[in-house]
Amino acid sequence: MSSIETLSALRQPTHLPVRLSRYFPLAPPLIVLMIAFAIPMGMMIGLSFHDADTGILTLDNYVRFFGDDLMLAGLWRTALMSGLVALCVTVMAYPVAYYLARSTSRWRVVVFALAITPELAGVVLRTYGWLVILEDHGAINNLLTWSGLISEPLPLSKNLIGVVIGLTHVVLPFGILSLLTSIQGIDPNLERAAQILGSSRVSIIRHIILPLSVPGIVSSLLIAFTMAASAYATPALLGGAGFKVIATMVYEQVLFYIDWPFAAVMAVILLVMMLTIAFIGARVEARLHRKLHI
Amino acid sequence: MKISRLLATLGIIGTGHGASAEELIVNSYGGPYEDIIRERIIAPFEHQFGVTVIYDAVGSASQDYAKIKATAGRPGFDVVVMTAAQSLDGCRDGLLEPLTPDAVSNIAALDPNVRAMAGECGAVHELQYLSLVWRKDKLPVAPTSWSALLDDGLKGRVILPTFQNVMAAYLVEVMSVSHGGDLLDDIGPGFEATAKLAKHSIGFEQASAVMENYIKDGRAWAMPFWNGRAQLLMDSGIPIDYVRPKEGTVPLIATLNVPKGSENKDLALKFVNFWLEKTSQEAWVTGYKVGSARPDIDVPDDVRARQITTEADLKALLLPDLTELSKRLPEWGARWEREVVTQAR
Repeated sequence: MSSIETLSALRQPTHLPVRLSRYFPLAPPLIVLMIAFAIPMGMMIGLSFHDADTGILTLDNYVRFFGDDLMLAGLWRTALMSGLVALCVTVMAYPVAYYLARSTSRWRVVVFALAITPELAGVVLRTYGWLVILEDHGAINNLLTWSGLISEPLPLSKNLIGVVIGLTHVVLPFGILSLLTSIQGIDPNLERAAQILGSSRVSIIRHIILPLSVPGIVSSLLIAFTMAASAYATPALLGGAGFKVIATMVYEQVLFYIDWPFAAVMAVILLVMMLTIAFIGARVEARLHRKLHI
Repeated sequence: MKISRLLATLGIIGTGHGASAEELIVNSYGGPYEDIIRERIIAPFEHQFGVTVIYDAVGSASQDYAKIKATAGRPGFDVVVMTAAQSLDGCRDGLLEPLTPDAVSNIAALDPNVRAMAGECGAVHELQYLSLVWRKDKLPVAPTSWSALLDDGLKGRVILPTFQNVMAAYLVEVMSVSHGGDLLDDIGPGFEATAKLAKHSIGFEQASAVMENYIKDGRAWAMPFWNGRAQLLMDSGIPIDYVRPKEGTVPLIATLNVPKGSENKDLALKFVNFWLEKTSQEAWVTGYKVGSARPDIDVPDDVRARQITTEADLKALLLPDLTELSKRLPEWGARWEREVVTQAR
């Protein structure tokens, strides 16, 4: 055996453990994800193909869902509500995130705290707060009635408007954090260079900041959409009896009708909707990257 | 020392709770219910048997049943207060312990018709009925019929339950009977009348506790409501009263149930039997202001006049087939969404 062969023979056994050892840090989260996410998700998908009474394999639950106008209306309502929340959150979060990323003022800490503190209160508590403000005899309607601007209360709760307002408040901090990370990653020297070359503030934002923060914008839209689509408490409290979304419909099937396979169908369809939106978001982001030559 | 503490902690986590053989976990409701059950039932039981009852007030009847189903009959409590509907479902699914007269002797003292409605896994410990609650300071005359809810004087002054509160299905049934239909097969008149009612209602609320607020603060002047809770509101000084309308009403049959996997089954059965004792039933009826399925109890005349306590009261009730009702709930729920909810403003 030559010295080279001897050396490689000696090294070879050490390669495999070294390569495997790279993956050791991944093991704990992978195991947790497998137990807490993948296995329950698989069970749920499996359950959706079973008959509630007999337990036999069937596609009937899916046929029932897509053949029922109430279910389809619920799915459409979920998509519309989540889309509106995603837009509102991203539009409102952007200026706050930009200020936080670029400002050196001492007020920055205060603004950051104001943006994040809503998360310290529970979602149910915050939603009840909005109910007090938005309901027919709530703060806004009482003020408008008292000032003589309206004679009948404005329909601010028990409908889409109320739910979008409530969910935007709930999800806004996540949008801010997502955009903040993205904007902080943009080199401030680019803005200074543009300023030196005579660009206006609007032009800098339009041609430099916005294009470079596309990943943050897409991420904010996706986070807000998925969080809104799976939210239960806010639509249940602020939506009222006439505003059913998939999350509240799942709750009904699980607890009131005790039809778990049908609830699983709804959950699977919601999951597919969110994955589709995430896929579209990723494609749009990639296309924008190419288009803007980033 | 530290290791022994850790092992003790793990022991508690491992069993899901810290209950020993002399501890019984009872799951029921919170609010005024909890105060009354602790005073009238739990304290005397603990005193008589020398055991400790751990009270768990989390969850509605349907949530408790979902928990029993999800854990295959081992939800972590030994006795649970639910309704006849969950008792029937749980018995059918093999998740609840059958409560025979051999195991719970006082079961034999219950009215056989009411007992049959709850099936062999439910011990009926309380009866309420769907009453028509009204504000005495707003309406000049007491309503006597379910149709009174449709009067013009109550436009925008009636609050209704959502369909996820079983009160809604019972309301459709009594409206059906009031308008020429019946409790199950000819339910159309009930939906038509309830749709008209929705049109001039304030709207819908799921939780009974939230519905209460509407009648308390005067936004609602009338509503369908369980009579036991209505009586508690009356006793608290709210200017309301309630009636059993002339067309009749449907009872809410509350049951005690023992999950199949209860860890203290013997003690659980003793607790159920204790609550069905004549003296316990009298204490409960006078404390919580509800009815009883034991026709032999002795209660004051003013309580008897308002509650279901006699055979005559029991015979006057409209008794739907709860198993059949349970099967029709998804269909009725969809109909409610299409025909009733769409009519509300």
